[in-house]
Amino acid sequence: MGVGTHLPDFTEFYRNAADECLRTVMVAAGNQDTAQELVDEAFARAWASWRTVSRHPAPKAWVVRTALNLGISRWRRRRREVPVADPSRVTDLAAAVEPDRLADPRIMAALLRLPARQREVVALRLILDLDTARTAEMLGIAPGTVMAHMGRAMAALRHDLQPELQQENQS
Amino acid sequence: MNDSDLGTAVLESVAEVRSATPVGQIIGRGRTIRARRRIPQAAGAALTVAAGAALAVTTISSGSSGWPSPATASNPGSASNPSGARLTAWTVAKQANGDIHITVNQLKDPAGLQATLRADGLPAIVSFAGPALSTSCQEYPVSRGDLQSVAQFHGTGGITIHPSALPRGAGVFIFDRPGTGSPANPLPAKAPGGTPPLGHLRTARLAPPTLPTGGPLAVGLVYASQQCTG
Repeated sequence: MGVGTHLPDFTEFYRNAADECLRTVMVAAGNQDTAQELVDEAFARAWASWRTVSRHPAPKAWVVRTALNLGISRWRRRRREVPVADPSRVTDLAAAVEPDRLADPRIMAALLRLPARQREVVALRLILDLDTARTAEMLGIAPGTVMAHMGRAMAALRHDLQPELQQENQS
Repeated sequence: MNDSDLGTAVLESVAEVRSATPVGQIIGRGRTIRARRRIPQAAGAALTVAAGAALAVTTISSGSSGWPSPATASNPGSASNPSGARLTAWTVAKQANGDIHITVNQLKDPAGLQATLRADGLPAIVSFAGPALSTSCQEYPVSRGDLQSVAQFHGTGGITIHPSALPRGAGVFIFDRPGTGSPANPLPAKAPGGTPPLGHLRTARLAPPTLPTGGPLAVGLVYASQQCTG
C-alpha cells in the first residue's frame, strides 16, 4: 500500500492540524515566518512517512517535534554565521514585531523573553493542549520538570503582562 | 490574573495565526523527500558518507535516467558495451544557470571527463581507479550539508554540480570506490601541510557495488591548485 492511498487522510489531517501546529511552533520558535517554514517541512516529512506518522499516537505532536528539531538543526548550521540576539537583553521586542502580524505583539514579546525550554513547554501545554506526561515524553524531560518550567513561565508571563492586561480590562 | 486567564490570553494572542501553505504544496515537497529516499532502493545504490567529506552512489552500466541525452550533451565520452553497441560512457551538460549535469554510464575515459569539466570552468579531478591521488591533492574539509549543496546525485550515475556553491579555493573530486571502497592504489602516508590525504577518508556506510567494473561513484572536495585540479 503506497503513501498515495493515505492522501485523503493526510489532507484532512493537514487541514485540521496545520494552524494549531503553526501556532505551537510559532510560540516555541518566536517567529511566524520561521515557524511556517519549519512546519511546512515537517508536514512534508509527515506526508513522506505517512504510513508511520498516521499510526503515531499523537501525529500533531510528531509534526511539532519534527519542526522543532528542524529548527535546532538549522540553528546549529547557522550559529557560526548569524549572531543570535539574547532575548533577555531585548527590552522592547514588541516594537520590533511587525505591526501587520496577526499575533499579539505584547504577548509574543513576553514569550520571547522566556528561556527556550519554558517557551516550548508553554507552547505544548497551552497551544497544543498536551498533558504534562505527553509534554515530558516529547521533550525528553521528567514530568516534574515540565511542571516546574510551566510554573516559572506562567509566573514570568504574569509579571510581564498583568499590568498591561489589567489596564486594558479596566479601560 | 490566574493561570487560566493567562493561558487564555496566550491562546488568544495567536488565535488569528493560520497556515498559509496549501496542502498541495506540502504534498509536492513530500513527494520530493520520498523520491530522494527511494533513489538508493530503486537503483540498487546507496549513499556513502565519508567523514563529512564525500558522498556516493552506485554507478550504472547504461539506461536513461531523465538526464540530458548524449545528443544534447556538450561533451559525450564513448565506450563500447559488452553487446558491441556504442554507449556513451559519460555526458556533461552545462546549464544556463551555470550548473553542470554529469551522467556517468561507464567508468571509462576519466581524463576526458576531467578535461571537459575543466573546459567548462570547473576545477576538477576525476579518477576511475579508486580515490588514489598524488600528494598535490588534499582534502578540502567540508560538512556533508555544504558538500550536498555543491554536488547532488540523481538516479544512478547522475550528478549535478553547482559551481556557485563551491567554496573559494576548492575543487571537485569525482572518483569511484571499487570493491569495498578501499583505494585501488597505495596512497602517500601523509600529505604535506598536515591535511589528511584523500585516501584516508573514512566510510561510514558503504553499499556493495552493483557492477564488477566499478563501485559506488563518489564526490568530494579538494583544495584547488594547478597541480591537482588544473
